[in-house]
Amino acid sequence: MLYGNEEGQQEDLDFENMKFDPQAPFEGVVNMLQRWFASPYSETIREWTEDYMIMRPCDGCHGARLKKESLWFKVNGRNIADLSNMNLDNLAAWFDGIELMLENKQRTIAKDVLKEIRERLQFLLDVGLTYLTLYRPSKTLSGGESQRIRLATQIGSQLQGITYILDEPSIGLHQRDNHRLIDALKNLRDIGNSVLVVEHDKDIMLAADHLIDIGPKAGFHGGRIVAEGAPAELLKLDTLTSGYLNGHHKIAVPKERRKGNGKFLELTGATGNNLQNVGAKFPLGKFICVTGVSGSGKSTFINETLYPILSKHAYGSKMTPLEYKSVKGLEHIDKVIEIDQSPIGRTPRSNPATYCGFFTEIRTLFASIPEAKIRGYTAGRFSFNVKSGRCEVCEGGGMRVIEMNFLPDVYVHCEKCNGKRYNRETLEIRYKGKSIADVLEMTVEEAVEFFQNVPYLYRKIKVLEEVGLGYITLGQSAVTLSGGEAQRVKLSTELSKRDTGKTFYILDEPTTGLHFEDIQHLLDVLNKLVDRGNTVLVIEHNMDVIKVADHIIDLGPEGGDGGGRILFEGTPEELVKNKESYTAEFLLLEL
Amino acid sequence: MAKSSNSGPDMPVQDNESIEVFGARVHNLKNIDISIPKNKLVVITGISGSGKSSLAFDTIYSEGQRRYMETFGAYARQFIGDMERPDVDKITGLSPVISIEQKTTNKNPRSTVGTVTEIYDFLRLLFARIGEAYSYNTGKKMVKWSEEEIVENIFQKYNGKKIALLAPLVRGRKGHYRELFEDVRKKGFLKVRVDGEVMDINPKMQVDRYVIHDIELVVDRLQVTDELKPRLSQSVQQTLKLGKDLMFLLVDLTPNPSPKERGLKDPGRKKTSQKTESEVLFFGEDLGEVKQYSRLLMCEDTGISYEEPSPNAFSFNSPYGACPVCKGLGTKHHINMEAVIADPSLSISEGGIAPLGQERDAWVYRQAQ
Repeated sequence: MLYGNEEGQQEDLDFENMKFDPQAPFEGVVNMLQRWFASPYSETIREWTEDYMIMRPCDGCHGARLKKESLWFKVNGRNIADLSNMNLDNLAAWFDGIELMLENKQRTIAKDVLKEIRERLQFLLDVGLTYLTLYRPSKTLSGGESQRIRLATQIGSQLQGITYILDEPSIGLHQRDNHRLIDALKNLRDIGNSVLVVEHDKDIMLAADHLIDIGPKAGFHGGRIVAEGAPAELLKLDTLTSGYLNGHHKIAVPKERRKGNGKFLELTGATGNNLQNVGAKFPLGKFICVTGVSGSGKSTFINETLYPILSKHAYGSKMTPLEYKSVKGLEHIDKVIEIDQSPIGRTPRSNPATYCGFFTEIRTLFASIPEAKIRGYTAGRFSFNVKSGRCEVCEGGGMRVIEMNFLPDVYVHCEKCNGKRYNRETLEIRYKGKSIADVLEMTVEEAVEFFQNVPYLYRKIKVLEEVGLGYITLGQSAVTLSGGEAQRVKLSTELSKRDTGKTFYILDEPTTGLHFEDIQHLLDVLNKLVDRGNTVLVIEHNMDVIKVADHIIDLGPEGGDGGGRILFEGTPEELVKNKESYTAEFLLLEL
Repeated sequence: MAKSSNSGPDMPVQDNESIEVFGARVHNLKNIDISIPKNKLVVITGISGSGKSSLAFDTIYSEGQRRYMETFGAYARQFIGDMERPDVDKITGLSPVISIEQKTTNKNPRSTVGTVTEIYDFLRLLFARIGEAYSYNTGKKMVKWSEEEIVENIFQKYNGKKIALLAPLVRGRKGHYRELFEDVRKKGFLKVRVDGEVMDINPKMQVDRYVIHDIELVVDRLQVTDELKPRLSQSVQQTLKLGKDLMFLLVDLTPNPSPKERGLKDPGRKKTSQKTESEVLFFGEDLGEVKQYSRLLMCEDTGISYEEPSPNAFSFNSPYGACPVCKGLGTKHHINMEAVIADPSLSISEGGIAPLGQERDAWVYRQAQ
């Protein structure tokens, strides 16, 4: 049945009604799937067959990627795939002594090549990427990692007189590796470049020659220069940023850690990627923080093992977790939600109101206004995406693109609706004096006040404000939201849904792009979730988050092959006593 | 890499120590002026949404990019796309701008840390130039010879001995090879070695077409002496040409080599006949030593040869180097039996084979029954 007639019955499974018709050759399910997978005709069918496929190392080369002839060429006993699968630390060490192992002739030929390789390797090591291998596919790199690779390449190029602009290079970097990054940035400056960094990390701010603080608040309340000058001078000022830098403001360490509800989720024998047969107990009803230096296996353990297990359990999804032995305590969880920083929408028509789903309710509200009823307008009339209510000149976009042929396209406000997206008749319907277009232009803060008397709307918009997004407008196009903002929009959507009290939230580095003040907001929201009995698991490097967690799971001690073990499980107070953990070292400074 | 221009006619001379931004109004920026020192490490901070990125990326970077684009002609610009002019009065002192962002837009499975850092490219070069080849059959080191090295080697090892130079024409293939024999006969060669047995080439000669044959052409027979060195060198050259970079050397191992050199007329009977010294040299099946020389990398034991390594051969993104099974990706889709038979306790009609679903009136089910 599975392999077709010709090969006969290869599966020993007990199928009672398996009867073959000896006359007609039957293709077999496996062959059928393989044929469909290879067929170029239908993307849908291909995707469907992919559900029954699994990615495994290739049988021919066992992951070495090259034909066998090429793999039998060796330098000092190693082939190119061996080297490419070493982590960069070991690779650099291998190259260190290589000259002594070569013959004279080889040494002459290799001289320049070796120099180039060593330089490039050194730059990568300098920015803290010691745990990567050359065969690591780019698409599996985190944003921070790929940025640091580019940084290393740039330092290698030795150009001068360039202005480099970097966006939060410290993301995903453990405190331990921060100084390496700072050294790399200084190196870039010292060879004669200007380096401009947008950053929230305290150490990097303090290492700057010149610090510019923009604010004071977000959105409409921001956009001014609050302070600028050497970090030492800024420390003396009384601004929000300075407050956190000089320690006047602080994210408070909770006096007491939560006890949790006494239930546990227990995962054992995880061996994916570099994990060394690890297991952990996740106490439920607590704020859990998973830490460890970059490459220590945090994401492998949580995103690629735990999350698929939970997702399979809660939603019957088809995700395949990496290898693990057993999991206990699933019955205490009925929902799992992963909140990442991917954008909420790629079209300019998507916005916080549509994403969170309350735009539908706003439209229903407008349709229920007596005037709308008299005219027979339905909720559809108030959508800028369908014909009837929208301005037909700009098709609801509010902007018109004027093509200038060989000059850049020019965007102008639509002259018909004046950027309001709707036609005149629709705009005549007003709720509390505001038309639907006015509502879209409100900031979240204004909307909270405006919809105070509409409980179901108020609740949802209020959550957006709570996660610190009071400054965005309801109609702000999704493409203009930053990663951090997008994540918080998602967070607020999840928050506004009814939680079951048995929900497991997973957040991967939620502090990305957040200022101290924003982190405080975020922690407030997360704490609220935990207080309602849910479990929040955060993968994080930020000490401010780590110190307020109830339970810490620390992986390490190093990245790559040197990691993959669980060093510690317990409260922050207990962690600082651990001698092996790098996290402990830095946490001690915070507590 | 934007073009810096701080010497416009209407601009006052700027000190070259800072980037001056005047009247920035992008997004929520409130018409700000700012001076950013050059050749310094400058950090811009502020709470989320305060306008940090608007200043760094949407004003300074975007203006730098735009000025760079302006250096292209209008014709070229239409292909590059448009750059919006940021809402700013003036930026002076701008040096070429490179942004190092966080985007991981590269979803290509062929892009790896090695390729983006270009370390892998150098590694390929290294292996192509100084990599030592080993045979995948025996694990032994492969060897290759240049013409001069072959001549020198023969001269040293077999000085005074009688040798024959053979150019392999057919290796382990079936066929009668009538045309081949005719062809080499017309070129003036007298002898061939078929399946280890040297014989004269006769007109209309052929071999059993259903048997696998090894055929080598005897290019020259000579004694290795100082006088004959130029001839040896020339013959080696010709043999390698005919044998497509491969040559065999047949050496007479009898202790006292006969100085005479003569051809024999009837090779067919020699196996059974009383052997003379020269017969041993040229007609013995097992006697004498056969040595292989190749201008290519070759395994001396099994005769497999590799092509000259090029950096391409180590690239998994090139058909010359990639594993033919996975095409260089290192992973491959396999059928996941656990997903196909998600619940082994179900029968087929109950949906035991997940891709088929439950039993219904469909072709596969009729076939199965």
